[in-house]
Amino acid sequence: MNNFSVLFQKEWRENVRNFKILWIPLVFLLFGISEPLTNYYLPQILNAVGNMPEGAVFQLPEFTPEQIVMSTISQYQFIGMLLVTLGFAGIIARERKNGTATLLYVRPISYISYVYSKLFIMCILVIGSAILGLLANLYYTYILFGTVDAGAFMGFLGTYIVWLLFVISIVLFSSAAFSTGIASAVSLLLVLFVQLIDGLLGAYWTISPWKLPMYAGEILNSSVDMTLFVWSVIVTVLAIIILLVGAVYFAKRNVSKTKI
Amino acid sequence: MGFESIPWKLILPLVIIQFILIIVAIIDLIRVRDTNGPKWLWAIIIILGNMIGPIIYFIVGRRNE
Repeated sequence: MNNFSVLFQKEWRENVRNFKILWIPLVFLLFGISEPLTNYYLPQILNAVGNMPEGAVFQLPEFTPEQIVMSTISQYQFIGMLLVTLGFAGIIARERKNGTATLLYVRPISYISYVYSKLFIMCILVIGSAILGLLANLYYTYILFGTVDAGAFMGFLGTYIVWLLFVISIVLFSSAAFSTGIASAVSLLLVLFVQLIDGLLGAYWTISPWKLPMYAGEILNSSVDMTLFVWSVIVTVLAIIILLVGAVYFAKRNVSKTKI
Repeated sequence: MGFESIPWKLILPLVIIQFILIIVAIIDLIRVRDTNGPKWLWAIIIILGNMIGPIIYFIVGRRNE
């Protein structure tokens, strides 16, 4: 445990110094706030930027508060996930390349606490920022559109956190197994591309980790099929455990690839 | 739409957050030794790139080594 706390302090200091502790929450907050605002003021924005023919009338759909929260999630699913995969792809691989790893590996550290210190700092940064952004989003949605049921929102948030954990463990695993460039490609592929495929062809299967954000939205609208949802969560949790164990294994195996 | 009718109470947090992001990105740009590509170009992107500028800088421009 002492091992872990020292490694965690190192991670914390690194992320304070490269400002990740500041800009990742800010970006999530920015998208969380701007989404309800742009949706609410869309008619005025369209008027202001102009080029509308005289007397044109737009019939804009009436948004429910749930739809606004969901459109924020779709922003997070693209830009947020891009940020997480590219920003953290080097979290283990980079240390092998720039020599930090040589300083670490000559000491009798446990690889489990090494990987878990990384996991912990990523959880704090990513999940903390997402919660912060979604709470700000909820506040703005409440002011501009109306209330979201608190219980449904908690369920939605919980499901989305499981999805974020899945993304984090994918990034950790690929960073432990490959070099930085390949790791970012692999995690981008696994997070964004598979999600796209799942969205296009996903009607043929119902249980998959990539469907969790969709189920989160359905929980918010309280129209979720409980058995499918529970199975997806179980599959995702198993995948997370396998990926984390794999990350520890590869972190240990790739010690020889460290640049001295 | 006049200046008065803009709902500043709602928009102000957005402006402040964006401002902080730009400041943080500029401080980071000054402190960091190398970026991917020339530094002055990144300064222009951060300042003129509106909401996306600082984000692109942090993701792409920063050489994490």
